[in-house]
Amino acid sequence: MAALLSLLPQRRCLCTKSHKKWSVKQVTKTNFEESLSEIKTHIAHSDFIAVSLQRTGSVSAPWHRFLPFDTSHTAYAKAKRAAERFQLLQFAVCPFSIRDSKLLAHPYNFHLFPRDELKIGMPSYSFSCQTSYLTSMAREGFDFNACIYDGISYLSRAQESAAILQMRNPIPITHVVKSSSTPSVADSVFIERIKSRVKYWRNACKDSSGNRDEPLLSSLRKLVLGTEEYGSRPCMNIDVCSERQVQLVLEMLEEFSDDLVPLIIPAKGGATQAVRVILTSSKEDKVLLQNELQNLQEEQTKKVRGFREVIDLISASHRPVVSHNSLNDFTFIHSKFLTPLPPNVDEFMCSLHLVFPHILDVQQLMKEIGPLRKVTNIPTAISYLKDHFFAPIDMETLHQDTANDGKIHGHNVLRIAHLFAKLCSILQIAPTESGNKSLVPALEEYANILNPCSMSPQESTDGDISIWTNNTRKVSCEHLVFLWGFKRTMTAGILKSLLQGSHDVFSEEFDVRLVDKSCAIVVFWKPGLSKTFLNVMNSKEICGSLRELVSEGLRAACYATYKRVCSLGIWEADLAESLEKALEEPDCLRKTDSGTNPLEVYWFSDLVINLDEL
Amino acid sequence: MNAHHRATRRALSRALSRALARPFSTSSPKPSGAAFPLKHVTKSNFEPALAELRQHLRAADFVAIDLEMSGVTSAPWRESLEFDRSDVRYLKVKDSAEKFAVLQFGVCPFRWDPSTHSFVAHPHNFYVFPRQELPVDGPSYEFLCQTTSIDFLARYQFDFNACIYEGISYLSRQQEHEALRRLNGAYEDTLSDTRCNLKEVRDVRLDRMADILFTERIKNRFSEWRDGLLRDRIGGFQLQWNSNDSKQQFQTIFFKMRPAISLTGFTSHQFKLIQWVINKHFEDLTYVHVTGENFCSQQLVVYTESKDDIDLLMKEVKDEHRRGAEMKIQSAIGFRQVIDLLSSEQKLIVGHNCFLDIAHVYSKFLGPLPLTGEEFVSSINKYFPHIVDTKLLLNANYVLQQRMNKSSTSLSSAFARLCSQIAFGSESKGLAFLQPVQVEVQVDDIRTSNWNSGAKHEAGYDAFMTGCIFAQACSHLGIDFKLHLPSENLAHNEKLYKQINHLYLSWTNGDIIDLSTGKIEEPLGTKYPKKQYSKILFENIILIWGFPSKLKAQEIRQCISKVFSPTSVTSVYHLDESAVFVQFSKAGFVSDFLVLKETLERSDGPISVLHPLAKLLEGGNTRAASYEIYKDICSSPISEVLFADQAEAVGIKWKTQVIEPKLAVESQENGSFREDNAIRNVPKSAENSEHNVEKDILSGHCEIIDSLSTAEANQVSTNNL
Repeated sequence: MAALLSLLPQRRCLCTKSHKKWSVKQVTKTNFEESLSEIKTHIAHSDFIAVSLQRTGSVSAPWHRFLPFDTSHTAYAKAKRAAERFQLLQFAVCPFSIRDSKLLAHPYNFHLFPRDELKIGMPSYSFSCQTSYLTSMAREGFDFNACIYDGISYLSRAQESAAILQMRNPIPITHVVKSSSTPSVADSVFIERIKSRVKYWRNACKDSSGNRDEPLLSSLRKLVLGTEEYGSRPCMNIDVCSERQVQLVLEMLEEFSDDLVPLIIPAKGGATQAVRVILTSSKEDKVLLQNELQNLQEEQTKKVRGFREVIDLISASHRPVVSHNSLNDFTFIHSKFLTPLPPNVDEFMCSLHLVFPHILDVQQLMKEIGPLRKVTNIPTAISYLKDHFFAPIDMETLHQDTANDGKIHGHNVLRIAHLFAKLCSILQIAPTESGNKSLVPALEEYANILNPCSMSPQESTDGDISIWTNNTRKVSCEHLVFLWGFKRTMTAGILKSLLQGSHDVFSEEFDVRLVDKSCAIVVFWKPGLSKTFLNVMNSKEICGSLRELVSEGLRAACYATYKRVCSLGIWEADLAESLEKALEEPDCLRKTDSGTNPLEVYWFSDLVINLDEL
Repeated sequence: MNAHHRATRRALSRALSRALARPFSTSSPKPSGAAFPLKHVTKSNFEPALAELRQHLRAADFVAIDLEMSGVTSAPWRESLEFDRSDVRYLKVKDSAEKFAVLQFGVCPFRWDPSTHSFVAHPHNFYVFPRQELPVDGPSYEFLCQTTSIDFLARYQFDFNACIYEGISYLSRQQEHEALRRLNGAYEDTLSDTRCNLKEVRDVRLDRMADILFTERIKNRFSEWRDGLLRDRIGGFQLQWNSNDSKQQFQTIFFKMRPAISLTGFTSHQFKLIQWVINKHFEDLTYVHVTGENFCSQQLVVYTESKDDIDLLMKEVKDEHRRGAEMKIQSAIGFRQVIDLLSSEQKLIVGHNCFLDIAHVYSKFLGPLPLTGEEFVSSINKYFPHIVDTKLLLNANYVLQQRMNKSSTSLSSAFARLCSQIAFGSESKGLAFLQPVQVEVQVDDIRTSNWNSGAKHEAGYDAFMTGCIFAQACSHLGIDFKLHLPSENLAHNEKLYKQINHLYLSWTNGDIIDLSTGKIEEPLGTKYPKKQYSKILFENIILIWGFPSKLKAQEIRQCISKVFSPTSVTSVYHLDESAVFVQFSKAGFVSDFLVLKETLERSDGPISVLHPLAKLLEGGNTRAASYEIYKDICSSPISEVLFADQAEAVGIKWKTQVIEPKLAVESQENGSFREDNAIRNVPKSAENSEHNVEKDILSGHCEIIDSLSTAEANQVSTNNL
């Protein structure tokens, strides 16, 4: 074992060299408190915040990744599935500002683990891991022990509300808002009864505070008065039946005396069970107790929120958030730190917009530079820009003194900030206006576009940048047909040549691409032919070699079927299997997904879905 | 008990007993040294450790095993419940074994050494990780982690880095066959069409000037080389390239006894162009791509004498490809070699409450778990004919129960109780009248009779404890190892015979499964400690979910009792906060209830509002179904946290599943693979029962037809084929 452990640091050293000049502050449970206050000031002084996430997995099968023919709806369905299934292990946050050609960055890398700190089964009962992801993290020297032992936990906003109900901690009341309605007779009777009880109890407490009773007598007294102790102070519980009564008790207490502090005891299910009244010895003592309660509550919330404090800080700052692959990032952020993901993309965008008003995806900026359209790898993009444009960016990070050499995680967030600065400089966008913290109009047009679907998100395979040949053609979803049920070793070329002679519809221009090993997509460039083809496939008049293909198992479906696969969440390993199942499902969803959706996708004639890479 | 806590009951109880055991082990006097660690095995020392283990296994009298997993239950309601019929229990175990990963595998062979009158144990702790070593077309490898289980492992300083960085990967037998089959398929495909790859290259288009110039140059180079070869045929050939640069890019070598040029320093696009040129312009040159022994790939252009020679060459290249691929598959088998050893040696395998462990072994190293418990049991019995469970042994035998003195039968408390001389390093206290079985531990070349691994409770150590308990238990049962001959198999010992191949299917309700017959038995001991309920009649049970969350079990009972009779409800049991089982006093109430619910929901009048059941149906999302639907929901691969969400995700859209009472009863009795007693001696096949389920659903009597999820429907239909 010892021998094994000594291997690991060595491995890590290998990767450190290239990054020595930038250091990213690594944050775990132990230094979270200090880092939180630190990042708070950094966020306040910065213009943008870059984020980058490390997940335990992304796609389970080739066709689950974003494909060029995905619409925003199908892409969202794919991102949603990944976000609900996998876990975040690292969350890098980098508040940064750009001053001329200088990039001022304050990168932090938070290690996360969804530990059930409060023993209430949250934030996550279980999560999936993809071994290929864990292995590649290991290759980069990721310390899983540190992450699992010391990772910071969190609760989402929705989970926090549920947890507060579940924990049923007393809630201190600082301000009582007077109700406008006049008290009824029943109310008056209730108030008078409680008032006299409190009065009697208060007097008794004050009296007995001087003399020392026998233990038996004092416990009897406690029993009779219903008095208990809150810390060193006496207190009593007033049971209530409704929120109206809570209001009445609180109002009464405020008028009655200034040495009483009320606490609300929640019942299971969110209502109030009782009001606890604590007697303080003086005005000063009251202030003291109120502060105590305040601190206690803050402590509690901090413990409950954990890392989510950082998300709340980012949201509250209203700074534009810069990300790469924003649809993936923000579906994760939404599901882990806000609320469960809504069923469709429009609701998601609305909900997200309330929390993060400006999201900038560097990929949107990259689209302005032709050759970068298909590059999804950040280092490749940076090196391309370096070679082709003169836009020097000076990076300055502010954690140079930290002693965590050897840990190199979270550098991606710096690269994103760097790339963003470079792109702004090349596109001649001044990222900020002096004295104005809101998004400049030039960036406005790139903001809040999360849909990656007009581009292939695949990593470029050999690091070469393929030169853009401007052969994208817009194609309506109606002209696309999915085909499956052919031999597994089939290539797109062979399939195309098989189809070519099989029927008249294939005498016009059409293209075939493989989506995965089980399924191909066909585009008919001449309008109407896709419908003809689908009709032929379902008709009895089918003949010739097409008939033979069909009898061997060839099947076809329109684009709407693919949409149903995504919206129903039929995530089989093979797209063919999923399409079959969607066809078997009853038609209940068909009505909802027609009409308003954007029905155009881009077709890349040089699109190759590389299966070896998967 | 909180549902969440029950999730890791097994883990936590173990944790607790470990925690309890620890102060003892530190406080008790520990004689000299003997604190060397376990034998940890990772991929770096796997081969030598395997060779060593092979020797130990061959000589062993029995082998103890233990597994650490990434989790136990994928949802709170998937925990073992009292109301789980044995077939449902199997489905829950199956779900767990399919979803979670094995992170550590402890193997500890025990051999009786007659010279020292003691056992020699060789504890091995294997780090296992399901790394994907072969390119597989199909889904990527994924496993689930239960947060509490991972956190539990972390509290015991489990080394996740060792597991993920250095864990040994594996292929199940089925995965291996699949890989070989695919390899053979590809091999035959290419053999029948040796020049098929030429087709692909034909698409190369020479658009760019650079490409045209490049191909021209390549063409010249190769014709030069080829002409050179032909010219110097007799006098041996020496080819002179013009520049140094070219020498590096085109190196003349011999490939399979033929002159060849090894190409280096080109881009993939250029390789494609070269291939195209060779195929287009040179009849007697062949472009091949080979993968060398050190797995580096090489691009070659080979000179061939004739068309036959090309075919011969292609065959040779392909054979080599195939050998390489086969070797890769062979090396990817990895940790399964240990399992194959365990299986082939046919030694007695000892585990502690090990049904789930065995299911993991099956699903990870043999193949996908069968759909029914019977199939599982019969095939596991083929691979591992002798398995014994120490937890069952301790609970089943009167002598041992006495020895345990009613203490818990968890692994570490049993170890502390029965093997105190090993656990505490002191001579047996309290049990002095017993003859303690001596166990010596050997790790590599160090051997001691007094071993303490430093209380690091890992799979290897747990396996060691299990083995010690077993040895001691055998001694209490009157097996005298001094008289025991090495040729005898312990598994055939008459004193153990009753317990061999009996496992707890569920510790929660004490059901025992006999691996050699597939029969389920009621608890063996007369007084089973956990059995609180009277016999559960599954045909009397109804499942209700989606009711208002504030309703408590007591209120539900009152609701229903008001409608039927005060004694109609035998018990109400919460599955989780969103679902309950209601057991009626007779089966007829089940269908009565379903029909009544249906009628109430259809009428909107004052009767339905004032009806006693209205409280239960409030909100309009209350669903009810018979026990069979519970089984269907359990068999789904989906795992939502709340049962109500699960049912919805599985695709149940109806509100009430109305069934013909007679049919329902019949199908339920067939539906289980348990054979409770002699009432029904003839076991009906699982297909049969599936058929009946389907018949229920499709029969005209159903008011609302539908709906299993498509997955279920598929299963049903395939079973009918």
